[in-house]
Amino acid sequence: MFSADRELKTICALMTGSGSAAVAVIRLSGPAAFETIKKCCPSLVKKKIESHKSYLAKFFDQNNNLIDQPLIALFAKGRSYTGDETVEISCHGSPYIVKKILDTLIIFGATTAEKGEFTYRAFMNDKIDLVQAEAVLSVIQSQSENSLKISLRQLEGESSKVYRSFEDQMTWCLAHIEASIDFSTDGLDIVDPKVLLNKLSTLKKDLNRLISTYNQGKIIKDGVKVVLAGQPNVGKSSLLNNLVLDEKAIVTHIAGTTRDVIEGETGFAGFKFKISDTAGLRETSDVVEMIGVERSKNETLKADINVFVYDLAAGITPNDLKILKTLTGQVLLVGNKLDQSVEKTVTTETTKKLQEALPANHIKGHVLVSALDSKARDIILTKTLELLGTSQFTDNSVISSVWQHELTSQAAESISQVMNELESGLGYEFVAQSLKKSLIDVQKILGKVYDDQILDRVFKEFCLGK
Amino acid sequence: MTSTAALENSKKSHYQIIVVGAGHAGIEACLSSAKLGLKTLAVTTNLDRVGYMSCNPSIGGLAKGHMVREIDVLGGQMGIAADRSCIQFKRLNASKGPAVRGSRTQNDKKIYSNIQKDALKKQENLDVIEGEVKKLILEKNICRGVVLQDGSEIYSDRVIITAGTFMNGVMHVGFQQTPGGRIGDKASIGLSDQLKEFGFDVQRLKTGTPARLLKDSIDWSKTTPQSGDEKFYPFSFTSDRKFYLEQILCYLSNTNEKTHEIIRQNLDKSPMFCGIIEGTGPRYCPSIEDKVTRFAERISHQTFLEPESLTSDLIYLQGISTSLPAEVQDQFLKTIPGLENVKVARYGYAVEYDYIEPTQIYHRLETRPITNLFLAGQINGTSGYEEAAAQGFTAGINAAFSILGKDEFILSRSEAYMGVLIDDLVTKGTREPYRMFTSRAEHRLILREDNTIDRLAGISKKIGITSDAQLNQLFTIKDQRDNLMKTLSATIFYPNQITNDKLVGLGSSPLLKPFTGEELLRRPEMNFGHMQSMGIDYFSDENVTDSVEIAVKYSGYIKKQYEIIEQSQKLEQMNLPEDLNFKNIKGLSGEEIDKLLKVRPRTLGQAQRISGVNPSAIQAIMIYLRGHKQQNKQISL
Repeated sequence: MFSADRELKTICALMTGSGSAAVAVIRLSGPAAFETIKKCCPSLVKKKIESHKSYLAKFFDQNNNLIDQPLIALFAKGRSYTGDETVEISCHGSPYIVKKILDTLIIFGATTAEKGEFTYRAFMNDKIDLVQAEAVLSVIQSQSENSLKISLRQLEGESSKVYRSFEDQMTWCLAHIEASIDFSTDGLDIVDPKVLLNKLSTLKKDLNRLISTYNQGKIIKDGVKVVLAGQPNVGKSSLLNNLVLDEKAIVTHIAGTTRDVIEGETGFAGFKFKISDTAGLRETSDVVEMIGVERSKNETLKADINVFVYDLAAGITPNDLKILKTLTGQVLLVGNKLDQSVEKTVTTETTKKLQEALPANHIKGHVLVSALDSKARDIILTKTLELLGTSQFTDNSVISSVWQHELTSQAAESISQVMNELESGLGYEFVAQSLKKSLIDVQKILGKVYDDQILDRVFKEFCLGK
Repeated sequence: MTSTAALENSKKSHYQIIVVGAGHAGIEACLSSAKLGLKTLAVTTNLDRVGYMSCNPSIGGLAKGHMVREIDVLGGQMGIAADRSCIQFKRLNASKGPAVRGSRTQNDKKIYSNIQKDALKKQENLDVIEGEVKKLILEKNICRGVVLQDGSEIYSDRVIITAGTFMNGVMHVGFQQTPGGRIGDKASIGLSDQLKEFGFDVQRLKTGTPARLLKDSIDWSKTTPQSGDEKFYPFSFTSDRKFYLEQILCYLSNTNEKTHEIIRQNLDKSPMFCGIIEGTGPRYCPSIEDKVTRFAERISHQTFLEPESLTSDLIYLQGISTSLPAEVQDQFLKTIPGLENVKVARYGYAVEYDYIEPTQIYHRLETRPITNLFLAGQINGTSGYEEAAAQGFTAGINAAFSILGKDEFILSRSEAYMGVLIDDLVTKGTREPYRMFTSRAEHRLILREDNTIDRLAGISKKIGITSDAQLNQLFTIKDQRDNLMKTLSATIFYPNQITNDKLVGLGSSPLLKPFTGEELLRRPEMNFGHMQSMGIDYFSDENVTDSVEIAVKYSGYIKKQYEIIEQSQKLEQMNLPEDLNFKNIKGLSGEEIDKLLKVRPRTLGQAQRISGVNPSAIQAIMIYLRGHKQQNKQISL
């Protein structure tokens, strides 16, 4: 977490990307933000400055040299992103100007911000909860339409709302269990265990529904991981180049050209795709190629979808079947070189071979393409999304990070335990302990229960200037 | 010592400790300090009412029974008096889990009070006088003694106030108001005004009591008799495990629509509903007016008719406390089955009294503003005899320890309900009479009645008021439990024919692999009786076996609870310097700073329990402390 001596510091950092640009924005935030900017921009001293207003001002360094004429936006304490006094300096985007401005601010008492520190301060000042803090990071890292959409919903507090409703329901059950213990002598029927069980069973369903969105969240946020596998020289590299609309891989007619895993990225239908081309999987005595083949095998384990490419003209060979058997997870079969093939559809013979050699549910789809044809990209990527069931993706809140998934799963497990305990007639004080555990997990997600490990995990991934 | 002679003597003497009040808190306070060898004086406004049960004639109950046992193991008096005056015993929640079972005795009030008077009389180092404390002798912010109503001054090193409901007490029956802390007793005027002037935050609370009825005017045939348990689990480990007195029945009856109608029609005559009473009442022990309005949908409320003594005609009407005018009480009481011709010996009434907002005291129960002044009992905003006794005991020990130069006596929240009680009071304060509940104890599973000895025997020895013989008794039980536990885990049963036949005979299932005795006992259908037929040899005292059986059967949950305690220890062990200026810590809201400055938590763990202090504030304080540690290190280099 952030080092200890920073609590009263005013921090500054470049918010926009490094390198030359038309404009760069520097943020300055902390108790002395206004005081510091006035030292650099004397014209602001005379003005009656207001929050949420911008001022054009001349910026001087400590030796009174004019550096730039930036636009200065001011945000008062309690009304800014961090909750502290904040100044945003939009200057000309020369790296030299940026450096001079930052240097001047530091000479006048500011400190360079650490990664994520602005957002951390917003959390510490109760401007946002933990789920929202994480959403800030997701928004910044968004690389596709869908990823941005879920991150924004999370930032607006949609996910927090869902967790708060879990918290409410758990609290309701806990309160009734506690009352049943402590007021048992007052002749009141506090709650029927059946009512509790009903509530809990709905809660469990809701928790599990949210947990099941983790995969969806991962796909939306991190992108779809597609791995191309197959024998050497079946056209995987050509296919990769087509899919990512770039010449990523060297294409020759020599089998074994691709020796390492080559990656490319592309966007399609609102999703990000991360596509890897692997060395053709064959037994080889070439040491370099052997390492490549080993890496390829590892790569296929990480895939959301393995695309197995074979030469349609040659048909499915015993070697193809050997490789197919090594692939785990969902496999999409792609028959390549449709243009060179006599067969224009999947033959019954091929289907029969596949069925004999492989478990029935292994292969999820089968398409025929020409790697060089622009239609191939559409066909394969559409089929991939179909296999992942993206049309079923909900617009509701989704879990998009590992720690949220862990805690939510733990909470769901505890709820199952609570239900078993209630059914077995275990003493309420024990049931209460299991229920409290699930409640604490949810409160940790919301940042309502102090847990420095989770704080660490959320903030360590941030970039500078946010 | 007679009261007049004692009074004359006491004026001349210097006491080490003066205890103001001789109710449930005062008794524990003066006995514990006198037992530690300090010259102690107890001042009560009415010698006849030492240890008087002003309200219900019972001791214990859920969470409260736990505290009585804790006080007992530590060397206190309440359990002894409760056991020896018990006329009906019940173990509450017997059908629920073992951690939330609570013992309750119904008591002969007269005998209870006589036992307590006797205990004070016999106690060495202790004088008891009748008198009213009007003022404290203060030297700047140091308390030096007390001033009585006749102006006489008695000096002492420490003063413990246990004034109950007497400070500026006002009783209400309808619109009729009488100064007093209890029927038949004067209010205590002056003391709380002095504290207020000194700058204490003094607030007002309210409590109430039901009517007392004449036994012979009740038609018992219309009520349902309720007997107590046959089996007695005395509070005190020093008591016999058989009843000391004849056991009696209580009787159940119910209010009905007619009762409620009369009460509703007369709400305008209730001082509470007309805003005459300002103090907040006990939410968990509501008056019948409250019950009828708050639970309007209920057509009936139960009430127990409880004899107050084996030798008196008075019946206590549990659950029907009220401050309605006498004629309205007469009217609605007569609608209750059995009470058609009832004669009221004493009408119900409400009492309003001053209390000191308890965030102004330390865990040791000494006040922050005035050194050498301790507060215990209802004056700190609690309700209940047991809560009072727990504080009285703690204040007595700490007042004595501070004179003897010993460390503070503070129980943690994971050691005892007494620890939870005091930590809650000084951390969260209270705006209504505070009653103990099992749900207030986050470590409830290990704060059980059955393991009180295991938890507190060691601490009792350290305190030093339990006699050697009694300590021996405590440690014998503890050792027997430990040994039995060891035997269980060391005995291994193999899945052979003989063992499995025996198990099947006992209604259990055969073993498939070797089991320890502990694992075998953990099977739901097994108990210690079965274990004996399986050949486990043990000393069959249920005082030993009951608690071992619970520890074995629920070991999974208990272990988890210990893990949680261990996790929370990290924050509990982070001490906050007493002069920590929260204003300098970045990231705290104004509200959080106010609350932290008011409570002045001892540890980060305590800070976390203050309501309105957010996790981010805890993070901020932790960062600040880390920074200061680093700075200190740099200086020392």
